[in-house]
Amino acid sequence: MHALIQAIILGILTGGVYALMASGQTLIFGIMKVVNLAQGAFVVLAAYLTYTLFVQFGVDPFASVLITTPLMFLVGMGLQWALLRPLHSDDVAQLSLLVTFALELGVEGILSFTYSTTLTNIQPSYANFSWTVFGFQVSLVRFFAFVLSLVVLAVLYLVLKRTKFGRAVRATVQNPMSAQLLGVNAQRVSALGFGLGAATAASAGSVFGMLNAFNPGSHYDLISRLLTVVVLGGLGSIGGSVVAALVMGVASSVVSAEASPIWSDFTFFIVLLLVLLLRPRGLFGARTRGAL
Amino acid sequence: MHLHQRRGLSRARLWGVGVLAASALALSGCAAASGTPSASNSAPLKIGISLSLTGDFSSSGKAAQRGYQLWADVANKSGGVLGRKVELDIVDDASSPDQVVTNYTNLITQTKVDIVFGPFSSLLTVPASRVASRYGYSFIEPAGGGPSVFDQKLNNLFFVQPAESTRGGDVFANYILSLPADQRPKTAAYAKLDDPFSAPIADSIQKRFEAAGIKTVYNQTYPSETADMTPIVAGIAAAKPDVVVGGTQEGDAFAQIKAMIQLKFNPKWLYEANGSNSPGDFPAAVSSANTEGVFGSIDWYADSTVSGSAKFISDYIAKFGGDANQIDPTSAEAYSAGMLLQEVATKTGKVDNATIIKTLHSGSWPTLVGTLSWDATGKPKGEYLLVQWVNGKLQTVYPAKTAQTSPVAPKPNWAG
Amino acid sequence: MKALLARIGVVRAVVFFGVLIVIPLVTGQIGWVTNTLIFTIMYAALASSWNLVGGYAGYPSLGHAAFFGLGAYSIAIIFNGSVYGGYLPFVVLPLVAIGAALISLPIGWVAMRTRADVFAIVTITVLFIAQTLAFNFNTVTGGAQGKSVAPAPFDVSTYNWPFYYVMLALLAVAMGISLYFRKTKIGLSLATVRADEEKAHGVGVRVTAVKLIAFAVSCGLVAMVGGVWAYYVGFVYPQFAVDPLITIGMVLMTFLGGRGTLWGPVLGAFILVPAQEFFAFTFGASELYLFAYAAVFLVIMLFLPRGILPSISDRLRKKRAAANGILRDASDAASAVSAQPAAHQTGVTR
Repeated sequence: MHALIQAIILGILTGGVYALMASGQTLIFGIMKVVNLAQGAFVVLAAYLTYTLFVQFGVDPFASVLITTPLMFLVGMGLQWALLRPLHSDDVAQLSLLVTFALELGVEGILSFTYSTTLTNIQPSYANFSWTVFGFQVSLVRFFAFVLSLVVLAVLYLVLKRTKFGRAVRATVQNPMSAQLLGVNAQRVSALGFGLGAATAASAGSVFGMLNAFNPGSHYDLISRLLTVVVLGGLGSIGGSVVAALVMGVASSVVSAEASPIWSDFTFFIVLLLVLLLRPRGLFGARTRGAL
Repeated sequence: MHLHQRRGLSRARLWGVGVLAASALALSGCAAASGTPSASNSAPLKIGISLSLTGDFSSSGKAAQRGYQLWADVANKSGGVLGRKVELDIVDDASSPDQVVTNYTNLITQTKVDIVFGPFSSLLTVPASRVASRYGYSFIEPAGGGPSVFDQKLNNLFFVQPAESTRGGDVFANYILSLPADQRPKTAAYAKLDDPFSAPIADSIQKRFEAAGIKTVYNQTYPSETADMTPIVAGIAAAKPDVVVGGTQEGDAFAQIKAMIQLKFNPKWLYEANGSNSPGDFPAAVSSANTEGVFGSIDWYADSTVSGSAKFISDYIAKFGGDANQIDPTSAEAYSAGMLLQEVATKTGKVDNATIIKTLHSGSWPTLVGTLSWDATGKPKGEYLLVQWVNGKLQTVYPAKTAQTSPVAPKPNWAG
Repeated sequence: MKALLARIGVVRAVVFFGVLIVIPLVTGQIGWVTNTLIFTIMYAALASSWNLVGGYAGYPSLGHAAFFGLGAYSIAIIFNGSVYGGYLPFVVLPLVAIGAALISLPIGWVAMRTRADVFAIVTITVLFIAQTLAFNFNTVTGGAQGKSVAPAPFDVSTYNWPFYYVMLALLAVAMGISLYFRKTKIGLSLATVRADEEKAHGVGVRVTAVKLIAFAVSCGLVAMVGGVWAYYVGFVYPQFAVDPLITIGMVLMTFLGGRGTLWGPVLGAFILVPAQEFFAFTFGASELYLFAYAAVFLVIMLFLPRGILPSISDRLRKKRAAANGILRDASDAASAVSAQPAAHQTGVTR
């Protein structure tokens, strides 16, 4: 029982970070109808940026979120402008899927060239600190990573609900045609949306680098998990992907603690297939074109 | 023993054929070959090697490359092998099995090298050794020691490490079972990474421990993509074992230890198959204060007293810089592959493949990783060395005859 | 005109296969030539098979490597101890294909309820499931230890020949099926599915049946290629046999040469494999080759989004249309359908 509760606590804390990564990916899909396979590579890229900032300049990994997030926002906008916007309109879905895959490979290539393929890890002085709460272990890094994720998600929520850009995004997600008729600049919204997606990857990446050992190839593991999260949550639904990320975090943590870690991801893939069998739109996929 | 092996390792499957010609100087001879520079043949001795210079095995692949190059330089400075200048033809296999087959086929049938040495990792060694065997080439290989390699029962293969890699931890079992019965651990926990080199090391230890009555209270295998060790370590902590055995690679070993520190769980003995034996990376990953008392196993280390080791280190530093602790054992293993070739040539006065295969199957052969001999399938018959972090330094502690200091038990507490 | 074009097609096929059949006889004992061609032909056969479902039906499967692995593991498991004279592994290939096709049917049925993006994700999930199963059922598959195939007893001078000719035969079969699809109602049905599935359903195309046929045939072919690969390399391992990059190879080569065409995937393979060799040769010692690879990928997507062959035939058709008025043959009809802007998919249709 103790182990089970411990596993659930861990699962929720880890799930929070995945929720952050997945929210960016599902946002990009909602706006552009593009499955961004490079999201995992963005996370790893941000982890390496954070690593360099920490090792070279002594910037605290949590503080470096303030640097990496805006930086990756700009990088994301640039990439959308250079690579996704010029695609021909027929078969955009397939082409953009492959373009983001190429992007993923390219990022991996640059990272392997700049750094090495050996596993790295960000080790601030407090990396191993943990509290004991009612006999359960709560690690400081994990806890603050979770808090950070909540904060960024809240900011994202406010941006989407309260700003003019947010209204344009929601209009585009619901109906791109009428949004354009109402004067929303679709290309601008797409660029900003892709930037925001990359930015969430960046803030998640900074903490990911403290929680896990990573190398330039780590994006494969990340993207396979992120894809299942966003599909389970219903592509385009941020709320859905947050719930799905938490469910996934808890499920894989409980399965590894109670059964065996070799089956933890597997359980999740099976759940995904079953859900798709019953509800091809995912758990929270709305009937209309995506909902935020 | 550094066998990085992660998920997606074959992602770099890109028919790499980067050719790096190793330049070398032929100087007039000394050593044994000097008197009789094998008059019949003075053409360069071409040695073909495929290494993972890109892709997931690349850091170890490059370490092997340094070892091979260093050996070739040293050999050429003393007149080459039987007066023949050594020329290395090193090609990249990008950690891909298709490419490794292509590379050895090309090296043998296109470049027509005289000798081939092995690639990096068991997974690539199996396809590579078959190509070599098909064409009657000897296959001295420093990095493929998994059971699948020896299951092929090839007679041209010689693994240049002290024992098959699945028995890397047997020396830890030997040490524990050498303790008086009342001082031995009563309970043990095993956490094993599901890959060809890691889990089997812990399996082998577990078999010995269980036979000796040490109870298994926790046993778990996890896949290589497991990033988060906390659930496993929480399970181990709940079982309260005396000894923890990790069948690990580097990254997961570091993660296990970090999770133990986080969960404030300190076993009396802690052995990790890989990771803790790295003099540079380990303290960097878990902070040097937390290394104290952790066990690992190794075949070559910077303070090794084996003959030739000191010269290897000084030559290495002269060529590549750095300090002795940064030398990857893989470099020493690759260097040893070259030493074997040189020894066979010196003893028989010949360097053809049939002679190498026949000669290495008898006798024992000194190398940097110990004095080696093999069974019919190329499996070495020696054992690894047990190392432990004592006073902030990685030191050999068992077997006693080669130990720098005696083992420390129980393990001191984590520094936090 | 149509007869002339058909004759050109026959001549092209005869020359192509004729040259490939003769090459081993001419190069004799030089192992490296046939070795390199075995991998090139392997990818040509894989891409041609992928094209049946990814090109004609417009369902971009990213999970085909799971079936490649299924075939590879079947051969490795059956022939782990002995290969019984050496030719039996080739003889059982059709059984492997039937087995893989049967397994692919329920998977295809679930996956093809979704479309485009979600389909790609679901199929890549199938790939990871296959990889996990290969790892975890270690008593059967050898798990993380891998499984080796007993060495083939062929003579060293012609060792590569059986693998080479079987691989070539598989390419011929894949292209034959591809041609058959184009010449029959199946191809037309697939083209309508690709253009607008709901409309196709509306006009009476048996959408589910035709999609499943394409998927199962494609998976069966890929499994046979996987079987030959396993026998040739001699060793299977979850990440080598069930490798996302095998899928990506098929996809990329098909896209480069031209989706939904007969020769496109073959052309893509014969261009890309040497191109990769060049990049690995030039940048081999650094990690930059991965970046160069990604760059080529991007250039194809941005400047040749429909592939080489359709772009060329577009240009030719325009020229001819200018000269002789309207001209149509089967391939133009198919590419005309595929050129219609696909309905903007949200990812899911029933």
